[in-house]
Amino acid sequence: MQTTLKIALIVILLIYLFCISKSVKRKNMRINYLIFWAIIGVILIIALIAPNFVENISNSLGFGLPINMIFCFAIFVILYLIFDLTRLITKQENKNILLIQEISMLKKRVEELEKIEGE
Amino acid sequence: MKTLLIIPAYNEEENILNTCRKIENFSDKLDYIVINDGSTDNTENILKENNINHIKLVHNLGIGGAVQTGYKYAYENDYDIAIQFDGDGQHDVTYVDKISEFLINGQADMVIGTRYLDKKESEFQSTFIRRMGANIITFFIKLFCGKKITDPTSGFRAANKKVIEEFAKSYPTEYPEPESTVSLLVNKYEIKEVPVSMNEREGGTSSLTSKFWKPADYMIKVVLAIIIDSISFRRKGGKR
Repeated sequence: MQTTLKIALIVILLIYLFCISKSVKRKNMRINYLIFWAIIGVILIIALIAPNFVENISNSLGFGLPINMIFCFAIFVILYLIFDLTRLITKQENKNILLIQEISMLKKRVEELEKIEGE
Repeated sequence: MKTLLIIPAYNEEENILNTCRKIENFSDKLDYIVINDGSTDNTENILKENNINHIKLVHNLGIGGAVQTGYKYAYENDYDIAIQFDGDGQHDVTYVDKISEFLINGQADMVIGTRYLDKKESEFQSTFIRRMGANIITFFIKLFCGKKITDPTSGFRAANKKVIEEFAKSYPTEYPEPESTVSLLVNKYEIKEVPVSMNEREGGTSSLTSKFWKPADYMIKVVLAIIIDSISFRRKGGKR
């Protein structure tokens, strides 16, 4: 790998890790997701520091080129992530519908009771 | 028999008062509740000024979520029969007795007011395309649930107590009319149809905006929804 490319990748990786640590401090992400992103960060660091390691794994798994293995895994991870997110969105949507309905009904009830009280 | 009319309304300022007055003139024993589905026009003010029994949803939910709110209200207030009724003047309140007849004598759990059963009965038979779409949905419901429902997209339908409870707990929100029909059929509820006539809309615009790809898109998704629902709604032992 060219040195300039390597340096660029390291810089990007550092920014990535910085973002994760920010999220840890601000607590604006669930721990479950943080662990997921942290593991990805660790894998990227290993790949960057020890390219031979990645090559060995790819050879032993029977991939023609290491890059094929990386693309293959990356696509699987992304697919899983999107699948999980659509599931999560549906769950949130159902919760939202329930909340809107219950709040609206409660509001009506409160208004009715206030009317009785006022009389 | 305590009967409740559930009237979902989204931006129906032109029709809603008319609809409610017609119901009041028809019978004073008939309760109704308007579900104002987060309207952006004057609907809420009209409802308030005229002291019409209504729930204002704090955010727009779409027809499915609005109707379910009505079923929840019916369930909490212990109604025996709940009838879905459009706020835009399409449905005729004089059919209420006819549509709830099968529920009162226990022959059905849900009754659908159907436009297509009797040619003479309904002057407004809706367009050819709509009719064809309904036929396709009918075919697939027959295929997967084994019962012919002539007008699966009709919004004029009456439910008994068991179905009210069922719908209060879970009601499909994406394609509510055909999906809820499927959810009842696969759980062995009895559905009957009675012919009704429907009027043209008195004002406002239909929710199915006519972009040319919309009907096809809708059809494909509804058919897929029917297939998925016929699997996912099925419980062991059927009725709760």
